[in-house]
Amino acid sequence: MNNLSFPRPHHSEIGERLRTEVREFLEDWNADRHAAATFGDFNPAFSEALGERGWIGMGFPKQYGGGGYGLMERFVVLEELLAARAPMFAHAVAERQSGPLLLRFGSEQQREEIVPRIAAGKCYFCIGLSEPNSGSDLASVRTRATKVDGGWIVNGAKIWTSSAHRTHYMILLCRTAPVSEVRQAGLSQFLVDMKTPGITCRQIVNIAGDADFNEVHFQDVFLPDSALVGVEGQGWQQVTSELTFERSGPDRFMSHMGAIEEFAATLKKHPSTEGARTVGRLVAHLSTLRRMSRSIATMITDGQDAGLHAALVKDLGNGFEQEIPETLRLVMHTEPQQGSSDAYSAALANVILHAPSCSIRGGTREVLRGIISKSLGLR
Amino acid sequence: MSHDMRDMLLDAAHRIFADKPDNLWAVLQESGFDRALLPESKGGASVNWADACSLLTLAGEHAAPVPLAEAMAGHWLLDLAGVENSTLPTIAPFVLDGQVRVGVAGESPRVDGTLPRVPWGDACSHVAFIAGAGPTAQLIVLARNAAGVSVSRGHNLAGEPRDTLVLEGVVPVAVVPAPCDARELLSIGAILRSALMAGAITRCLSLAVEYANLRVQFGRPIGKFQAVQQSIAVLATQAAAARAAAEAGSEAIDERLATAGQPLTENVAAASAKIRTGEAAGQACAITHQVFGAIGFTEEHELHDFTKRLWSWRDEWGNEAFWSRELGELILAGADGAFLWHTMVPTVSGVAR
Repeated sequence: MNNLSFPRPHHSEIGERLRTEVREFLEDWNADRHAAATFGDFNPAFSEALGERGWIGMGFPKQYGGGGYGLMERFVVLEELLAARAPMFAHAVAERQSGPLLLRFGSEQQREEIVPRIAAGKCYFCIGLSEPNSGSDLASVRTRATKVDGGWIVNGAKIWTSSAHRTHYMILLCRTAPVSEVRQAGLSQFLVDMKTPGITCRQIVNIAGDADFNEVHFQDVFLPDSALVGVEGQGWQQVTSELTFERSGPDRFMSHMGAIEEFAATLKKHPSTEGARTVGRLVAHLSTLRRMSRSIATMITDGQDAGLHAALVKDLGNGFEQEIPETLRLVMHTEPQQGSSDAYSAALANVILHAPSCSIRGGTREVLRGIISKSLGLR
Repeated sequence: MSHDMRDMLLDAAHRIFADKPDNLWAVLQESGFDRALLPESKGGASVNWADACSLLTLAGEHAAPVPLAEAMAGHWLLDLAGVENSTLPTIAPFVLDGQVRVGVAGESPRVDGTLPRVPWGDACSHVAFIAGAGPTAQLIVLARNAAGVSVSRGHNLAGEPRDTLVLEGVVPVAVVPAPCDARELLSIGAILRSALMAGAITRCLSLAVEYANLRVQFGRPIGKFQAVQQSIAVLATQAAAARAAAEAGSEAIDERLATAGQPLTENVAAASAKIRTGEAAGQACAITHQVFGAIGFTEEHELHDFTKRLWSWRDEWGNEAFWSRELGELILAGADGAFLWHTMVPTVSGVAR
């Protein structure tokens, strides 16, 4: 069972010095910490301020506007932003997935044009994966790019696409060759300017009342040859490498920090043994997840495959996040009320309403456990 | 210790555990594993606590019926106390306030009180414990066969000796200033148990996977059924978390003792180890027994060697509830208005501590 061990995380002196700076910066930002339930608000001004500090794309090479830092330094900044419930939603996807994808598989032109703008906090991305009839079974996508002179014509639809209506680009996964015996073959990724004619976004309101995600339609959308990312037909392999980033980071277990913080703040005023025990237990889970997630950043830094480790962390993180409201509400009773002047009640309402999404987004619980059991040698 | 040396040591231990010799404890002692924390000049291997805990995780993976954790910590304490030639030192870390009194009668100190459920308390040659808090804490070593020691034998669910020692005017072999206070020794004990538990949980997982691939029902191995796969996947997440938590705890001991870092009572990783491994243990036992069905419920099957140890160890030297309260109170002691996160992850300048 050696593949279950998580190596000791690298320690970064530079990262620890950054931590102090980030905390000072966030104090000045006076973010609306109570309202933010998940990854914080979509706030371009905040993203640009962060970009000016050099805290977006910290791991990107300097020639593309990055900080030339390692993943461990990036981890410190990211976890501090999450812990403070900073409004980082605008740039988060580009920073986490699209930038690294373009750096790894993109053309030189794509890298030069786009990556520095991501690092500046001025260019935001959405990810076109799920479709109305393709959710967990991603290889079944039917959105199609047909080769024409000088480019491609795209037809189809994507769904659950976060922030599609307010981002600049989409990384689109679609079919460029008919379905063959290997279902994962014949898929390709494209860099799509969201202003391209023929693209329409319809916002979908979720159960918490947010209108973050979208249904995106493509009707005879022309993409130039230069929009292809990486190699035609290699979309599946490229997207899988992206998912390790999506699944392993602290954003997979820190999106409900608001409720824990408000619970602890209330508890300081009204101490109880049961409350202390609850905080201790949650902190033990959180610190273990943090250790595992930092360990994955270390593995990626050292060039090791962390796909299984990412699935383990995401599944544990989902369970942890969903358990938070269930645990807290029985220890400190209040009626959950969105927008309540009581910060704990408001935070509890937010996490209750967002909890179901934790084990759906970025790979469902069942898919993750399928990955884990397969790697254990079952199936 | 170099990586190569460390790997060689772990390989050697693995071979011994896997061989399951009848005289396992004697073989481990001959190879010096019980003294591993001591310098080579004293028959040890100069391993750090993290490596010692890796050895314990291996022992846990094999449900080795030996007092390795207790003897490792015991030899460390006896060495600090200047007691030589001990054959089997054990430790008694869960000593509550007032349970043991150290007084003076005439020229020499006398110890009275009770040391409850001491591992191998009857079979040991010496028992070491720490009394008191803060800088005045004392490390006390008693000889098992000293006058005034009476033993009431007991066992944990796995049959490991847990003997209660009643002390009446016992003259200790040594009383010296302690390397850490009583509460920190309990932390160390809890982390050693966590390392053992991480190993036993890992073994539950490998047994479950192996059995699910072998056992055929409805015409196919039960591991082909998604319901079984999903359960075993949960077991794997718990095993991974237990290992990570135990390793983080073991590194905290090194940080405390080797570099005079923050007390273990103020270390989040140290308190988290037993909470997280204890919780994983409960889930691991339940899932593994479910995978094995009736055969795993029999005395004849080896599964209970692991699950009974886990059910015992999770309640020894502080269970999840005990450590959760300790950790919660530590976190909530942060300044009013300060984020919980800032107490949990202090900056280098160390605002919180």
